[in-house]
Amino acid sequence: MHEIYSHPAPFAEFAAVKCVQGYEHIKADYSAYLTDESKISSLPFDFLFFPRSEAELAAIIQEMARRNIPMTFASARTGLVGGSVPQKGAMISLERLDQVEAVYFDPLAEEWRIRAQAAVSLKSLASMLQHKKFALMDQSEDPFIQRTLAQFKADPNYYFYPPDPTEMSASLGGSVVTNASGARTYRYGPTRSWVRGIRVFLANGEFLDIPRGKYFASPAGQFVVHDSKGITYSFNIPDYNLPKTKCTAGIFTAPQMDLIDLFIGSEGVFGVVTRVDIGLLKHEDKLSIVQFLESDEQAIELTQLLRENKHLQLDFLEFYSVSALNLLRERQAREPSAVGMPSLPKEGCSALFFEMSFDPRSNTMDFSELEETLSKAGASLDRSWVGYEPRELDRFKVFRHLIPETVNEIIAERKKITPGLHKLGTDLAVPDENLVEMWHLYRDGCNASQLEWLAFGHIGNNHIHVNILPRDIDDQNKGLALFASFAQKAVALGGAVSAEHGIGKIKEKFFRMMFTAEQIDQMKRVKAALDPHGLFNPGDIFGD
Amino acid sequence: MKIVVCVKQVPEVTNVLVDPINGTLIREGVKSILNPFCEYALDHAVRIAKTNPGVEVTAITMGPPQAREALLRCLELGADSGILVTDRKFAGADTWATATTLAAAIRKTVPDFDLILTGKQAIDGDTAQVGPELAEILALPQITYGVNVAFSNNLKRVQVEREVERGYEIVDASLPALVTISKGEVVRRVPSLQELIASRKKPIRVVNALEMDIPEDQLGLKGSFTQVVKVFPPRQKKSGQLLQNIDPEKAALEIYTFLKNAGFI
Amino acid sequence: MLIINYEDCTGCKLCVNNCPFGAMFFEDGRVQVNELCGLCGACVNVCRRGAIHIERKQASPEELAMYQGVYVWVEFETQSGETKPRKVVYELLGKGRVLADRLNQELVAVVLGDESVSGLETLAQFGADRVLLCQHPLLAEYSTDGFTNVICAVIAQKRPSVLLYGATPHGRDLAPRVAARLKLGLTADCTGLDIGEDGQLVQTRPAFGGNIMASIVTPYSRPQTATVRPNVFNACTPDRNREAAIETIPVTLSKAAIRTRLVERKLTETENAESIENAKVIVAGGRGCQKEANLDLLRELAGQLDGALAGTRAIVEQGWIPHTLQVGQSGTTVGPELYIAVGISGAIQHIVGMSSSKTIIAINKDPEAPIFKNADLGVVGDGLEILPILCGLIAMEKEKLIEANRQGF
Repeated sequence: MHEIYSHPAPFAEFAAVKCVQGYEHIKADYSAYLTDESKISSLPFDFLFFPRSEAELAAIIQEMARRNIPMTFASARTGLVGGSVPQKGAMISLERLDQVEAVYFDPLAEEWRIRAQAAVSLKSLASMLQHKKFALMDQSEDPFIQRTLAQFKADPNYYFYPPDPTEMSASLGGSVVTNASGARTYRYGPTRSWVRGIRVFLANGEFLDIPRGKYFASPAGQFVVHDSKGITYSFNIPDYNLPKTKCTAGIFTAPQMDLIDLFIGSEGVFGVVTRVDIGLLKHEDKLSIVQFLESDEQAIELTQLLRENKHLQLDFLEFYSVSALNLLRERQAREPSAVGMPSLPKEGCSALFFEMSFDPRSNTMDFSELEETLSKAGASLDRSWVGYEPRELDRFKVFRHLIPETVNEIIAERKKITPGLHKLGTDLAVPDENLVEMWHLYRDGCNASQLEWLAFGHIGNNHIHVNILPRDIDDQNKGLALFASFAQKAVALGGAVSAEHGIGKIKEKFFRMMFTAEQIDQMKRVKAALDPHGLFNPGDIFGD
Repeated sequence: MKIVVCVKQVPEVTNVLVDPINGTLIREGVKSILNPFCEYALDHAVRIAKTNPGVEVTAITMGPPQAREALLRCLELGADSGILVTDRKFAGADTWATATTLAAAIRKTVPDFDLILTGKQAIDGDTAQVGPELAEILALPQITYGVNVAFSNNLKRVQVEREVERGYEIVDASLPALVTISKGEVVRRVPSLQELIASRKKPIRVVNALEMDIPEDQLGLKGSFTQVVKVFPPRQKKSGQLLQNIDPEKAALEIYTFLKNAGFI
Repeated sequence: MLIINYEDCTGCKLCVNNCPFGAMFFEDGRVQVNELCGLCGACVNVCRRGAIHIERKQASPEELAMYQGVYVWVEFETQSGETKPRKVVYELLGKGRVLADRLNQELVAVVLGDESVSGLETLAQFGADRVLLCQHPLLAEYSTDGFTNVICAVIAQKRPSVLLYGATPHGRDLAPRVAARLKLGLTADCTGLDIGEDGQLVQTRPAFGGNIMASIVTPYSRPQTATVRPNVFNACTPDRNREAAIETIPVTLSKAAIRTRLVERKLTETENAESIENAKVIVAGGRGCQKEANLDLLRELAGQLDGALAGTRAIVEQGWIPHTLQVGQSGTTVGPELYIAVGISGAIQHIVGMSSSKTIIAINKDPEAPIFKNADLGVVGDGLEILPILCGLIAMEKEKLIEANRQGF
């Protein structure tokens, strides 16, 4: 079916919605809303709304549309590309739509699912699942909710939501519209793989309920939306091919695609997601392993061997270059406790960091496959760290996040001497077979330019973050030029220019590198059909 | 020489939630860990063993069958063997009954021990009593709050750096002795994959009540002098004002005004 | 032993849902118990049918009645060259007075020390009916063996009904040693003490890191012994005219009996330094302070408010502050007039160590941090940004005052 009906939300009084008016007022009392984790600043805007319900949200959208005021949506403001930073008009913070509405078993998919509002944070969701405690639902009198919740609690297994974007204070809705990914994307795919249904409000103030597997583009690539007033919006999906890597650049498209995928990762330019159904997976105990290696090249070799061994199912596979570990070693010498780990091995080692399922109680764990693969790459088992208790896993996790934090600290120091300096980081992914080639390009390019650099990140997905630490403006310019050439190469290899951060308001240049003007026009035509007056998230993806 | 380390498996209490309605603990999803202070004790024992060849480290725990997991952790961190003292008859033991049972188990399994190390306290009960009680029952000198432990050159005495209220003191005692440990290295140790694999091949001996010569009336609840008569949630203080989404300047001013109004400035 | 009477059990599972240890479960159509059972009695209290019993030992009332009197161990500290009872001793006397009156028994202070002990008259002024003085040169310094021997001797001679120690490092070293030797019940770290209807001492203490409170009795051994948290109970107003008889107890103690030997003492604080236990204002830092150097901000604020710097176990473990400054379950219990928590999330282990503070201000970035539930004023924000501005404001205020004084206002 490629035709779908939008429905009006229940009525709510626009005047009753909590609203902060006037840029001066917003700036004085709500300054946190002027930016997000991209740290770019908003331009003046006039309204800041806090809807408490979908009905209130609909009332805002209708009133703003009537007055032709553009709207920027936000919930946790953890994005890295300024997607939720307003440039004009109104900002609508969904933070009060923060309830988990139901947990239920889908008998067809044989899967436990959660239905939750957009602003539920991934952190609180994880905590609720860990303890099987859901504040609101536990007190609910709805017999359906009560019954399914009781079933869920009676299930002896525990469940988790697999996507784990590094930033756990991110909101569920935000992670859906950005198709967030993280280390575990290696095994479980990005957020898209776990979204089972969404409710999305369109610029006409009505909503679509889109379960996965119900609405597909016609063979000619068309979707048709009918609203409750008899108006019809129709559009064709773009016809380009997306990279077969992790990718958050551009609108998703595929022959006879599912309508839900159009909205996932769309950065909210077509509609605002207010409710999400997600799939859960049975929880297993995990073993974190940091394996130290002799060189970056050995790490890449081991990466390939680990990927090839189909008996080994790793949850994630992360990389630390020699230079990255050198940086951590210096930090450890300065502040041993900040690193929170025993002394790093001597100079000149790299590391891979991976996680696998593990039964801590078992006496007969079979590590032979892992041992064999490690020794094939020449790695030595006693040069490793392992942990599996929850608090140990947390500690490893802190270690995993330490590189970007340390880089930011160094840049902040240098900025004091040279204002205008900033960190340069890549977000490029390439297909499996191009990992070595891409690595050589990174290494040789950075070394030839005599830049201070390091690399870390999702090597399992060929998605290494190269960071350049410019010492002066000259370094920075060299780095920028180098990064443009890296991006071009990634595109030429069939990779993605933005594997996980998205485009938002700051990566349009890279976006244009990956798509032709015609392809971008195809995306804009979808936007024009669903949001004819360009009211949703102005400035995101397409620029102005 | 033989070092016995007494350890306890505890719930990770930082993660324990209390049901807001009936005030009981929510145990769902709360994992058990080796009590951190016990881990410090084990670290000290392993460090001594590494610098003194011939020193053997045995980890011992009393608890339900799953307390074996805590022993596995000890073996990963370098203990040579483990002893699991487990029996339903031990249920409900207070600190005295626990110390009595542990003392009997140590006499039975490692009668020729030279040093016993324990954590200063367990993070679930926080009594800090089992160590000293065990020392008394085994008639050993005790040194509490140890942060550093070393044998003398002739291996006849133990020298312990311990925390005291205004700093540290170094105390020495003849062996055998018991030391409770309050601190290990700043950063907890991490085993290697090799150590993890090797740990699963080390022996764990299981000891039950029958094998030890203690009268039944000294075991578990029957052997306990204290009895819990009521469990209830702590009184919640009524929370005051919470300021959100404000600038640092404004926040500072609010605190300043609060302090001034309350007469602190 | 937990006994379930299945004839009375309706299978309502209230007990299963209320079991704090997760030890009860419903299987094969009936309630069952596994080895996790701590015999805490939560199920007994909740069962509407009275179908659950715990079999416990009984002791004869005649035996118990032979023990009389509430005893308090008087721990001394040396400050500015003067050796006098610690603050917690007066708090114990305050509470002990109430208990003794309830029991209609004597309140006795037990003093162990050498010739130099002083401040004995204050023990009476703060409530003691009698002072037992055990003097010996070997009691000048605390030792586990020496003090255990003497306390055990006092108990054997005097047969008290209750013996209280401060839950100080020495108190917690000594009390279990005595309890093990005399086979006594001992409850650690009490925050509540009361006399039950049957004359038993009801001892209440936090358990599971402070997540729940447990009330504990010692029904069939005497004396009932407990260590008690400092800063929980109030001392009574001293009565300058109150006097107590001082009874000297002869002490036999030999050097050989003390098996530990002090080799060296390395004090990180001067003898005159106020401990955080007695501080009026505390500025405490947690993990959110990010690095050691940032504690200077807290120090500055503490200095301005004439207060002390303290911190959580996390930052003690990081080595940023000495253990002597740790507040919480495994550190010191404090009860200042003002407690400012910076970058402290408020794990329950920390809360139990500071919740008796009169006024609490908390600054933390995470709006869901539990510390806010305990705060009189909570600020969601970065303390590292807020503190310098706050210190500036206070400094300006002080300058204004100085200026005003100079101008003779």
